Amino acid sequence: MKSRRDFIKTGLALGATLSLVSRKGLAAAEAAAGGATAPAPAAPALKSVLIAVRDGSRTAMLDRALAALGGIEVFVKKGQTVLVKPNIGWDAPPERGANTHPELVGHLVKLCLAAGAKSVSVFDNTCDQWQRTYENSGIEQAARNAGAIVVNGKDGSLYREVEIPGGIKLKRAKVHALVLDSDVFFNVPVLKHHEGSLMTAAMKNLMGVIWDRGAYHRTDLHQTIADFLTFKQPTLNILDAYHPMVRNGPRGISVEDVVEKRTLLASTDIVALDAAGAKLLDHQPADVRHVRIADQMKLGTMDLDQVEIRRFKLT
Amino acid sequence: MLHRRLKLFRVVVALAIFAGLTAALVDFRGALPPRIGHWLASAQFVPSLMALLTGTSLALGALIILVATLAAGRVYCSAICPLGILQDVIAHVASWWPGRKSPRRRYAPPVNWLRQSMLAVTLAGVVAGWAGLTLAALDPYSNFGRIASGLFRPLLTLANNAMVGPANAIGLTSLYRVEPHWAGTGMLSASAFLLVLLLVLVAWRGRIYCNTLCPVGTLLGWLARMAAFRLEIDKGACTKCAECLRICKAHCIELRSGAIDFSRCVACYDCIGACDHGGIGHHWSWRRHQPAAVPPMSDPAPAIAVRDPARRAFIAGAATALAASFGASARLHAGPSAPNRDQPELDDAHRAGAGNARNVICPPGSGSITRFLDRCTACQLCVSACPTHVLQPTWTAYGLDGLMKPRMDYTTAFCNYECRVCGEACPSGAITLLDLPEKQVTQIGEARFEKEKCIVVVKGTDCAACSEHCPTKAVYTLPYGDNLRLPTVNRDLCIGCGGCEYACPAQPAKAITVSSKRQHGRAKKPVEQKAALPPAGDFPF
Repeated sequence: MKSRRDFIKTGLALGATLSLVSRKGLAAAEAAAGGATAPAPAAPALKSVLIAVRDGSRTAMLDRALAALGGIEVFVKKGQTVLVKPNIGWDAPPERGANTHPELVGHLVKLCLAAGAKSVSVFDNTCDQWQRTYENSGIEQAARNAGAIVVNGKDGSLYREVEIPGGIKLKRAKVHALVLDSDVFFNVPVLKHHEGSLMTAAMKNLMGVIWDRGAYHRTDLHQTIADFLTFKQPTLNILDAYHPMVRNGPRGISVEDVVEKRTLLASTDIVALDAAGAKLLDHQPADVRHVRIADQMKLGTMDLDQVEIRRFKLT
Repeated sequence: MLHRRLKLFRVVVALAIFAGLTAALVDFRGALPPRIGHWLASAQFVPSLMALLTGTSLALGALIILVATLAAGRVYCSAICPLGILQDVIAHVASWWPGRKSPRRRYAPPVNWLRQSMLAVTLAGVVAGWAGLTLAALDPYSNFGRIASGLFRPLLTLANNAMVGPANAIGLTSLYRVEPHWAGTGMLSASAFLLVLLLVLVAWRGRIYCNTLCPVGTLLGWLARMAAFRLEIDKGACTKCAECLRICKAHCIELRSGAIDFSRCVACYDCIGACDHGGIGHHWSWRRHQPAAVPPMSDPAPAIAVRDPARRAFIAGAATALAASFGASARLHAGPSAPNRDQPELDDAHRAGAGNARNVICPPGSGSITRFLDRCTACQLCVSACPTHVLQPTWTAYGLDGLMKPRMDYTTAFCNYECRVCGEACPSGAITLLDLPEKQVTQIGEARFEKEKCIVVVKGTDCAACSEHCPTKAVYTLPYGDNLRLPTVNRDLCIGCGGCEYACPAQPAKAITVSSKRQHGRAKKPVEQKAALPPAGDFPF
């Protein structure tokens, strides 16, 4: 099953990272996991790793988290194409916490290019009018300044229809070409309250790479969010929880909706990352239905006791 | 020599205004600040007169044009009016056609009955309270706006989209595809018809549109007849070579008598340069009692005889115009308490079926549908400027007097909470520029939630797309059923932006829709305390 395969792939990738095997080893491990039709090998008993950093600037926390994972070079090789997918949902300034902070996006882009990436692209299928959202979120400017290509997420011709055989309710979706074609896929969400799904973090952020968001809402929001992971998992998920929006999400009304947490999480296990995000918002991971479903589908683990959490406090 | 430079000056000004207005109207990328379009459109006669008469703003454009016309003739028609300039552009481009001979023009008598009828219809419309229809349909600037926004803009968008691929291939990433926005068939046909009509008329007889059909041209023509400085032929210098009349696109030079019908002269100054003998120039024409000989039907000079029919027509016209101004002014100043079309309320409109033709929502800053329809000239500048394209031209949704005026269309977009671009763009005062905090509490409609159509109830799964999009949290969710969240509407906070309706994925009918508030209201401002979470000095995991 594809979901299982991806899970194993993630596990293998992590194992490779942890043991600080060279990238060649990791690539070999991935190759072993095989193409889309390869049968899944037996699951190795490897723990997911979650990096949790507190009390630093966004850039310092990102640097620390990446260092703990073995450096950006573990993920980005020379000449590779990189996609950085922040949450750029709403026409709101950075301090409202409605979007990923531009500073974090800009810094990640810079690191990718410094690691020799051929190109770094940034986009989101925004909820508010896209040019205004790109501009007022500060992300367009920050990403451009850092050297990224900022791509229109509202251009339907850039999405390709794919089959999602592992999906229970989501069987087909139009997915942005950058997700399908990029070598490296960084998912860089922001942590927020959400009126419909209780919380939005890494898993829900991936709704922004598909064309028809309405289809998700129409056909069981939580199940479709989880289903997408059977098709594609990001190379690495980095959660901006510096000042999470704790109510009126995901859009928020004012700066009063955010609470300072000064936290950043990173993990290749998207479910573990969202489980930890839920805890930051004072929820139980299982209360967030898409997290629970993804855990049941073995797309990751929401049981943080089963996750190797590495905690760092910067001062 | 200075005199001969007049044409150059006219062409430079005309091209600048034409280029600026066209850019604002075809701006499919939102690249131009909306104020630029606003300024250029505020220099246009009808919108600025509308803004002035309704006391919306101290728009001096119309007054300046009137004074300039009284001073030197219809300078508006060749230097400022985009529809006039468009005709010059058409003629100019046509002259590049290989093998095409330049047109040989001659004098043509004016079609006064039609000129006066067109103006009379316009003014009668104003008096009768149909200004919304007649002004909108006949204002040359607004007609240009509909051609540029309705036809040129989507065509340019398609051209842009065709270029994106090749541009990206050579590494030019600043180009991107944009969804072309086509107006409905009605407005599209009306704009296309006018454009074709102009092409035909320009080819047939130059500026006959401006001198026969355009009420602004006729009105300004009346003033031009009395202008202080008029173009005249110096009979001493004239050799009757006819170069001037061959080039005259207004067909208003009568060479036999040596007279220029200044009411039809569009002040292009082509004739000045065409005359090798320096025989045409501006002359001080007030307090002179030797009128030039008058060609039979044109009556170029005023004050010939009291019985002069054109003069009588002018006096009648002026009186009508004055009455119209007062009439319009009184109508438009009538406050919201006055009985008007806004009274049929919301509930009726809604019961008849939300989203039907009567449930039309006008943009924030327009006050009420009546106020909006009275002031809007359907120039489409706001439609072009609207970044979300929630503003879409109608055809008959508002009724006849609202032909082609924009509405908020929530099927493909919703009003951006942080945006007031339409108010920035509008030149006529139909959409007042509200302060952003004021705009954010202006109720243009009200959300209505129909539980039985909601995904959460029908399918038993979470959704909340509506509440997700709500900028004021007028739409919020409450616990429902098995750990689900069901939307609820707090009408006090709802401003009718349409975010909820746009986002609602329910099919075939949306579960949440916005019904029009024909008289706009004021929502409560959401008040917020600082949010808090249980303190956690450490990681909560």
